[in-house]
Amino acid sequence: MKGMHGIIFSYEKKTGLRELIEHRVHGSIPIGGNYRVVDFMLSNMVNAGVRDVGVIMHGKCQSMLDHLGTGKSWDLSRNYGGLTLLPAFAYSESSGASAKFRGKMEALTGVLDYLEDDIRQDYVVMADSDLVANLPLDDVLQDHMASGADITAVCTSVLGDTSDTYFELDETGRVVDTSYEVAVPQGYRSLNIFIMSKELLVHLTRHCKAHGLYSWRCNVLQDMGKKLQIRAYVWDGYAARINTIQRYYERSMELLRPDIRSELFCPERPIFAKENDSCSSYIDPSGACVNSLIADGCDIQGSVKNSILFRGVQVEKGAQVDGCILFKGTVVKKDAVLHSVIADKYVTIQEGRTLMGHEHYPMVLARGSEV
Amino acid sequence: MKKECVAMLLAGGQGSRLYVLTGDMAKPAVPFGGKFRIIDFPLSNCTNSGIDTVGVLTQYRPLELNSYIGNGQPWELDRIQGGVHILPPYQSATGAMWYRGTANAIYQNIGFVDLYNPDYVAILSGDHIYKMDYSLMLQHHKETGADCTISVMEVPWDEASRFGIMNVNDQDTIVEFEEKPKNPKSNLASMGIYIFTWQKLRAYLIADEADKNSVNDFGKNIIPDMLAAGEKLVAYRFEGYWKDVGTLDSLWDANMDMLLPGSGLNLLDKNWPIYSRTYSCPPAFVGPESDVGNSAIAKGCNVDGEVKNSVLSVGATVKRGAQVAYSVLMPGAVVEEGAVVQYAIVGEKCSIGKNARVGAPPESVENPDDWGIAVLGPETQVVEGEVVPAKQMLDRTHQGVKA
Repeated sequence: MKGMHGIIFSYEKKTGLRELIEHRVHGSIPIGGNYRVVDFMLSNMVNAGVRDVGVIMHGKCQSMLDHLGTGKSWDLSRNYGGLTLLPAFAYSESSGASAKFRGKMEALTGVLDYLEDDIRQDYVVMADSDLVANLPLDDVLQDHMASGADITAVCTSVLGDTSDTYFELDETGRVVDTSYEVAVPQGYRSLNIFIMSKELLVHLTRHCKAHGLYSWRCNVLQDMGKKLQIRAYVWDGYAARINTIQRYYERSMELLRPDIRSELFCPERPIFAKENDSCSSYIDPSGACVNSLIADGCDIQGSVKNSILFRGVQVEKGAQVDGCILFKGTVVKKDAVLHSVIADKYVTIQEGRTLMGHEHYPMVLARGSEV
Repeated sequence: MKKECVAMLLAGGQGSRLYVLTGDMAKPAVPFGGKFRIIDFPLSNCTNSGIDTVGVLTQYRPLELNSYIGNGQPWELDRIQGGVHILPPYQSATGAMWYRGTANAIYQNIGFVDLYNPDYVAILSGDHIYKMDYSLMLQHHKETGADCTISVMEVPWDEASRFGIMNVNDQDTIVEFEEKPKNPKSNLASMGIYIFTWQKLRAYLIADEADKNSVNDFGKNIIPDMLAAGEKLVAYRFEGYWKDVGTLDSLWDANMDMLLPGSGLNLLDKNWPIYSRTYSCPPAFVGPESDVGNSAIAKGCNVDGEVKNSVLSVGATVKRGAQVAYSVLMPGAVVEEGAVVQYAIVGEKCSIGKNARVGAPPESVENPDDWGIAVLGPETQVVEGEVVPAKQMLDRTHQGVKA
């Protein structure tokens, strides 16, 4: 069958997301007032005509399971195919319940049967669930088919930090070296999106299984880089990998910029989210609300500046919220003052409290806490 | 499969008193309150009351309504047995008929109701904004042993002559029904919401159809016929918010009621959610220079201007220097820089050009009769600098004239 099959990796990794991943994996972190991080990759796939997506998950996946549901929000609730949840049951049995995947190849090995039997399409696109970007995957597939590459890797010339993976390209666009945890970022930053044929993916997975290899980066991209034709697709649009609190905060605040919003939420490739039945937000006559993103169902009676409010946030009279990200159901009581705070779901800030983070070190309040 | 109660929702009316807003769509499909359409209220009431089988009777301009309801999923009415069904008029071996009246519409769909062999049928209107638990009304119907239960509410005495008035005895049994009486004997107004014992109603519908002089209407024929025949009709007193939004003024009023904490139209109420079909879009953005007060803002809005005492629907835009006050902006409406919109209903996807003015406050007019809200039908273009006075109505055939 023509077209692409999607695979999204959503399992616990070592990150600097602290409280935000206490109850969830990185892909289900709320972002942008209305979304979870994984919504972006799911929407990218769906907008490129992908109709079957497997999500490989492990660890604290309850929040992810709850979010994905039947896949209806992304039009992936189908009689055949559609969204398939791939928890690591088989893997946990052989390696113990607390074991973690050491790499993508280990994760793929655990679902080898699925890869062999349930992928109907000729091509597979693999991606992480922690990337916030809106990019044309159908165009990447066109490029992949036209170039005759074995693997097409999406990357950007916009450099990130030392925790990212970098490619070195030759003049034809072939990836000649892959490196990570580099001292100085250089070359092209990997967005961890790869397209290859189903045949090659199954072959590589069987090979890694047979040889006890578990890492996509080391055992495939690096070790087979000479043998395989790995080519880059360079895409320089907005792409945010959410892997530390600081990055999460900075990248979220960037969404207050109209130019970035119009790129990320372009009408030709809509980002789908799990919809809800909240009514509109209400801004009181005494409320002052500027330069902020406001999801539905908020009740704003105080002052809100430079902030992102998720669904159903209440800001009472006299309260001041500046530079904050308040998740679903946060309640800021009368006269409380909040600066540079990230409040996880259902946090309550009592009357008159003052909480000050700094834009370079935002204060994070864990889910359900009461201050 | 048998159902205890089936709801039949009358949604075929043109809504001619909404003028330009219903040029292309039936009244129940008209947007309301930022994220909803009028029909979301009765449909959500059904779901929240445990009624999972709903027939929606359509006739006038059904496209918008049909595509909005779809398979009923947003209201959880995509059931394996039952669910929501669109019931348009149809052709049969003996000919084709439009729905000639509310009773005739149900008569033509006796076959549909019989499929579910219900004990009771609820007859609902598609143009009311209210939150009501039909299960309590049904319980009342069963307890009183009524053949028909009519939902009523107390209205101010000086307004009673505008309604269908129920005169009741001390048991709240209806003894007389008067349509818009000059000298009302009671202030219990019918809300146009009925529960019938199905077999009773079925018989009266068949008899009514045979009567050549009948206009086949519930209020004019079925209810008076049942009263005359001595059937037991009982009033069910409803207390809470209810508004017929059949006129432009009442539609505007009901939208403004959303902004009044004491109005009873509390949409933040989690116990009685109103469901709607919504599409993904980013949260509302209120810009650095915006000034928003006492307003409801839906997702997808972009506000850089001033918005006071207004309801902004999904995807509405108010640009820098523009002012919107006491107005309803329907989905996707755009107010360009420097434009002023006051006391207006602005239809879906309208655009209001730079420095244009739409509507005016009541005090700006000498004779109060000359004042009214300004209304723009869907996709109306108001050009740069144009002035649309109070009470004016325009639709998309309007050719903008620069003032």
